[in-house]
Amino acid sequence: MQDGASPARDSIFQVERLSLAYPGRRGQPPASILSGVTVDVERGGALTLVGPSGSGKSSLLRCLNRLEEPTAGTVRFDGRAITEWDPRELRRRAALVLQTPVLFEGTVRDNLCIRAAGVALDVSERRLCETLGEVGLDAELLDRDATTLSGGEKQRVTIARALVRDPQALLLDEPTSALDPPNAALVVETISRLRQARRLSIVAVTHSPELVRRLGGALLYLVKGRVQAYERLDDAPDGSIVDQRLQAFLAGDHPPGGSA
Amino acid sequence: MSGVVDLSFWELGLALLLVAVVVAISAKQALGLERDLLVGAVRTVIQLYLVGLILAAVFTAARWYWVLLILCVMVGVATHAAVSRLAKPIPGIYWIAAAALSVSTAATLSYVIGLVVRPQPWWEPQYLIPIAGMILGTSMTSAALAGDRLQADLAARREEVEARLALGFSGREAVQPLVRASLRASMIPTVNGMMTVGLVQLPGMMTGQILAGSSPLVAIRYQIVVVCMQAVATAIGSLLFVRLAVGRYLTPAHQVRRYLL
Repeated sequence: MQDGASPARDSIFQVERLSLAYPGRRGQPPASILSGVTVDVERGGALTLVGPSGSGKSSLLRCLNRLEEPTAGTVRFDGRAITEWDPRELRRRAALVLQTPVLFEGTVRDNLCIRAAGVALDVSERRLCETLGEVGLDAELLDRDATTLSGGEKQRVTIARALVRDPQALLLDEPTSALDPPNAALVVETISRLRQARRLSIVAVTHSPELVRRLGGALLYLVKGRVQAYERLDDAPDGSIVDQRLQAFLAGDHPPGGSA
Repeated sequence: MSGVVDLSFWELGLALLLVAVVVAISAKQALGLERDLLVGAVRTVIQLYLVGLILAAVFTAARWYWVLLILCVMVGVATHAAVSRLAKPIPGIYWIAAAALSVSTAATLSYVIGLVVRPQPWWEPQYLIPIAGMILGTSMTSAALAGDRLQADLAARREEVEARLALGFSGREAVQPLVRASLRASMIPTVNGMMTVGLVQLPGMMTGQILAGSSPLVAIRYQIVVVCMQAVATAIGSLLFVRLAVGRYLTPAHQVRRYLL
């Protein structure tokens, strides 16, 4: 088993021997979701999580901003264990975008500006327009009712909503899987541009080889909650990928282990 | 006014005969309710007879500790009824329901008994027990409605809650819209009831008082008290229940316990 630890580099996330299990129901044994996952994400780097459904990709992502509480192991964010962060502050700095875009009642502006009471946020007109521009949306959308947007627009508004908070890292849970191919391509384009433009660290769960290729960084292959392979894409052209399943995946033949 | 027309066993038997009509309808329409109906009829007779015997004994004994014991049993039964229909178990929900029902009943009851009705002595079982029963019954129904709605919403709107958490909201803030929806759902029947009270049907207690020979003008005064106390019992009961129950789904680190959904 390989893992993605590389302590010499400047890391935004350091995940060490992370395990997650849910308590069993009615005398059932606990359900193991993740076992002993170790991986690093460089500051400004990218990591894509791939693997069959149910392999724990999304759970790993949700451990990074502490929506899930690991049963064992540690996660460090920006040099500090995430248990030492106020979870709310951590989640503003490591912003999660969900698979199905959740927009709240009101306009696009209302959605971008939404925040907990007492939290400072720059929501000046200029900033909102700029942020919409960053995700490739027109500023005139600001006063549109959020429910009237297309799927692709909704997903980009949720990304913009994360960006308004000026995060250090963006966590994306299958950002393109609910979208049709043209919209998915636009979102892939947006995300890869953001990594360059903002020096954002990005961790993305995906089934899309296109997103992996465009994002670069590193690739972590999970099966049944364990790391099967870890490959760096930045230093290596596609040809030098060792793991054959990942080679095939990147060539677009099939998702890695479409079945477990 | 004259006394009450007492019902003989024969007359009771005739009333029970009505259940036979329901059984016949159930059989004819293949509703499959015949067994439950018969069990229900038998339980109605036995439970009410037992309650009648116990109440008669407590009224004659007139001791505060018997009244207290009865109140405790009532809270216990109401607690069980409020949580037993939840789709999924919530850890510690019995204590939560017992606390919510006890507090809402105690608060409403002390106000109504202490300031409004003022029987002598204040624990006079003839007043305390039926009034407590009505308060508890409303609290129980509304807590059950609120709990049911909360549980269904937490499962159906989980992504919305997690989206708020991911934006840096606290756990309580993230579930606030769901809490509000549950409270509304639990209070709507009471509010609707206040709108039509007396117009569609005479409330049970008022009917009882009129049948027992009270003047309708006395009966409606009691009914006004009852409607008000039921409204406040609904509000306090479901508010406490939902606020405490939603806490079971949240962790101090502002997470949702997904395995409970």
